[in-house]
Amino acid sequence: MSPAHDRPADLLEQALALRDDWLGRALSTEPADRPAAEAAITGLYRLVGAPPPRFVWVPSPGAAIGHLDDERIDVRNLPPRGEGPLPVRLADRMMELRHRLRGRFTRRMSLAPPGTGRREDPRAALRRRVPLDDVLHPVLGEAVRATVHENVGGPLRAEFAQAGGAFTWYGQHDAGWLTAFDVRCRVGLLRTSDAEDAELGRWVAVARSCGWWWPRDGTCVVAERPVEVHTEPVPGSALGVRRLHHGDGLAVRYSDGWGVHSWHGTRVPDWVMTDPTPERIRQTANVEVRRCAIERIGWDAYIDQAGLTLVNTASDPGNPGCELRLYSLPPSLLAAPARVLLAVNGSVERDGRRRRYGLSVPGDIDDPVAAAGWSYGLTAAQYARLQRRT
Amino acid sequence: MNLAELTARTGLDVLDHLETQVAIPVLDGLQAQGDLLVIPFDIVADAVIPPSDDRWRPVPRAGIEVLRGAAGGNPHTLTAEHGTCRWTDDAADRERLTLGMLRATRPVYLIHPEHGASGIAPGTYVIRRQRERAMENRRRPFSVGPVRYIAD
Repeated sequence: MSPAHDRPADLLEQALALRDDWLGRALSTEPADRPAAEAAITGLYRLVGAPPPRFVWVPSPGAAIGHLDDERIDVRNLPPRGEGPLPVRLADRMMELRHRLRGRFTRRMSLAPPGTGRREDPRAALRRRVPLDDVLHPVLGEAVRATVHENVGGPLRAEFAQAGGAFTWYGQHDAGWLTAFDVRCRVGLLRTSDAEDAELGRWVAVARSCGWWWPRDGTCVVAERPVEVHTEPVPGSALGVRRLHHGDGLAVRYSDGWGVHSWHGTRVPDWVMTDPTPERIRQTANVEVRRCAIERIGWDAYIDQAGLTLVNTASDPGNPGCELRLYSLPPSLLAAPARVLLAVNGSVERDGRRRRYGLSVPGDIDDPVAAAGWSYGLTAAQYARLQRRT
Repeated sequence: MNLAELTARTGLDVLDHLETQVAIPVLDGLQAQGDLLVIPFDIVADAVIPPSDDRWRPVPRAGIEVLRGAAGGNPHTLTAEHGTCRWTDDAADRERLTLGMLRATRPVYLIHPEHGASGIAPGTYVIRRQRERAMENRRRPFSVGPVRYIAD
């Protein structure tokens, strides 16, 4: 076999194809391969000296919660290595393997200055003679982790934790860390012993065959994969990072109806998709959720539906070309008079657009600049001195 | 200083769609970074009382996280060269919007992953956060509601 660095362009293509295959598994909506998953999990139990477990299959992470009667495991007070309940022993084992393997290829990354290929198209970076290792690092690591672990796994973990779930292995979503190791092994850029290879192979086999799982002493609960996953590219991401988005129903849906709603990457409550009314938006404390709900309706339609009337407009000091628009809410006996200031962000989003934000201000303010000033505790004259907004 | 140099120097990152080669303006006036406002102290001297000297501390090399988004991500971080900036979060503000004050003898920078960087000229400044009127409480219909702080 020729040395690994003879054909960097070929190796990159191989690595990208393998990476894409991993992403496909991570976002897969196929039914689980139950025999493969059970065999691999049984192998992992054996690694920590435990007999094969009894398997309980559930349709979703939400459905697993009823089967987990363990005490919450206190991660600040763990028993010594090699002891304690099975999930703790398994976690130790997994982290040990990860640290050992990671130590073999992270030697230079903290020294790589910006603009040396970390955030650009990998093929272009390679043509600029950025070393293959530096090109692969973000492509196999950061990009996959961002898509799988953060953008898809993150909202699901939040939903799961809110429902009371704990101490989970992520099956298909463990692609977020496995991809970097597995792809390097397969293109010959990471040397492993036979034992390491076999151990990594078990984690890989689980991740390629099922959804989340909960290993416990004697019993292992395993979830099916979701039946729907809706993503979109994060605009402007040179590394091809994706995020959850679905404007019409759950962005991730399991067969029993468990899942998450997401609006362009922001996890939102059900009503934002099913019934986003101006009244609900008014009562929502979280500004991000409110913005998502209004964007779902559309600002123009929202202003209309909410019965807002334009009081005044002014150019936004420090934000050239942008306008501050002050609207009043319809008079209501039950509500103190209130107004809404519609402002435009000072910095552009990845898609080149600027977000609009609505802020509630006191009802006796008539001047949009005074309203913007009030939001920072300043007068209109003071706020008008704004030099720059980003 | 441009954004690329600043991120290299501080180790803090910004989103990759932001323009990194353009010089960051260093201003001595009012500037907004998302939900934060940097205000020259003299503009709000009648509303903000700085604490005594012993309540100020040097801005460390790693910077000071001035405010973090509600979801836990996206902090606004104040960074300065060693020994050029002091910070306090003990200022008293009549409007209750002040997060802290800074005193800089060299230009210092406020960085945010989505908003980029704001350069701040030597001087004394107040950093305030943004508020909005809280939506009305239906059980107390005629009260003027309290305010809510913005942290996106």
